[in-house]
Amino acid sequence: MTAKAFDPEAVVDAMAPLLGLTLTPESRAQTLVHLRIAAEQAEKLLSVPLDDQQEPAPVFTA
Amino acid sequence: MTAALIDGTAQAIAAAVRTGTVSAREIAQETLNRIEARNGALGAFTDVTAKRALAKAHAIDTARARGESLGPLAGAPFAVKNLFDVEGLPTRAGSKINRDRPPSKADATVIARLEAAGAVLTGALNMGEFAYDFTGRNVHDGPSRNPHDLEHMTGGSSGGSAAAVAGGLVPVALGSDTNGSIRVPSSFCGLFGLKPTYGRLSRVGTFPFVASLDHVGPLARSVGDLALSYDAMLGRDGGDPAQADMPAAAASPTLNDRVAGVRIARLGGYFARSADPSATSAVDTIARALKADRVVELAQAEQARSAAYLITMVEGAALHLARLRERAQDFDPEVRDRLIAGTMVPGVWAAQAQKFRRQFHATTLALFREVDILLAPATPCRAPRLEQTTFVLDGREMLVRPNIGLFTQPISFIGLPVVTAPVWTEGEKLPIGVQIIATPWREDLALRVAWALERDGVVRAPVATLS
Repeated sequence: MTAKAFDPEAVVDAMAPLLGLTLTPESRAQTLVHLRIAAEQAEKLLSVPLDDQQEPAPVFTA
Repeated sequence: MTAALIDGTAQAIAAAVRTGTVSAREIAQETLNRIEARNGALGAFTDVTAKRALAKAHAIDTARARGESLGPLAGAPFAVKNLFDVEGLPTRAGSKINRDRPPSKADATVIARLEAAGAVLTGALNMGEFAYDFTGRNVHDGPSRNPHDLEHMTGGSSGGSAAAVAGGLVPVALGSDTNGSIRVPSSFCGLFGLKPTYGRLSRVGTFPFVASLDHVGPLARSVGDLALSYDAMLGRDGGDPAQADMPAAAASPTLNDRVAGVRIARLGGYFARSADPSATSAVDTIARALKADRVVELAQAEQARSAAYLITMVEGAALHLARLRERAQDFDPEVRDRLIAGTMVPGVWAAQAQKFRRQFHATTLALFREVDILLAPATPCRAPRLEQTTFVLDGREMLVRPNIGLFTQPISFIGLPVVTAPVWTEGEKLPIGVQIIATPWREDLALRVAWALERDGVVRAPVATLS
């Protein structure tokens, strides 16, 4: 999924019931604001190429 | 004299208590009187542990009378952000919901360590709900207010911690810092703040926010007090999986070591672009004093901030999902809707952010082969007004609450140790802080540089005169 293709309205309306969340209209509107910000941040982040071998930062030690 | 001591440092209080110039009880009682007199205006304390403070002070005075040796913080009052467990109090973490938790059975590790060094806990402090905040606003307890101008915000989320120290209620307070929550209020309220290396201090007995980014640390009005309290909190306790197995090297003994020879550079690029003139000028002041002419780039700092932002959304949302389902109406709406949005962020973005985190860590450590200390603004501007919700940065109007941490987030993202040092400009009521950033595990070096700046009068953290 690219950040540009991310559609916050579709995501909120599909995911809220799947997650068991009930949103008031005010809460939905603000959630959209924050999802749009998240998509902007993701667009910047996803512009960075990463090797397949790049390990994530938190490494669990067994 | 007691009042003058309380306006001074924890170190001076402890010295006076040790020599018997003043009793720990007198200090504790005067501190409680101050809290009673000033807290209404500041919104700093949410719980005052008066009985406990007086009992601890009495124990210190009794130990002294018996000829026992006293700790380095003997009789020095402190207080903690209310996400630290305090025995007998529910750990509210700024929320309404957590008030239903049972009272804590034990103190957080770092509280126990400070008390073992002789410090006297006086209570728990206001904070942004569940630490998801850079403003110091709290819909349940009211805002903490900037002691230097009560109409302005303290910054958050350790807002009560900053209000208590800058307002002269205690010389030292503990805060937590996930994305800037020690450094932002230190900047806005004119304090020294230490965010240690990620994994340095134990977080046992604290309410979490983003486990992979959470740190704890002190705020104080002097670098000496930052170092003393940091030293007292050092050491593993075995209960925090993120805590590293590093030697507990005290920073206080090396504060006086030479700064000449330390390679210092300021960060350009991203850290200059979105800063308003007050932030740039504060870095100028410190760079000039340190004769640091060099400017370096922290490559991909903007993406680092984005990655920290997304990890925070996802981990924070995972922590609170059940509460969002069951008690959505009991959240601060400003916090709730950010957390709800976090539940819907694609998992691949957060996973990518953690991969990028390791890459960014490696490139930044390479930069530290050329320099020892990096300087950057702590906040993009001075403290906004309490009710302010937007500001203009880099020519663009942005929400205040999520964006105050623009310059702190890329640094804590990879856990670098930072001391925030406050700069004052003549004619301005409000200060602004500069981050003194070191390579991992070199808190001592950041503290040493801050100490030299304080000694030379370049930075200072006075008690506010409340209007």
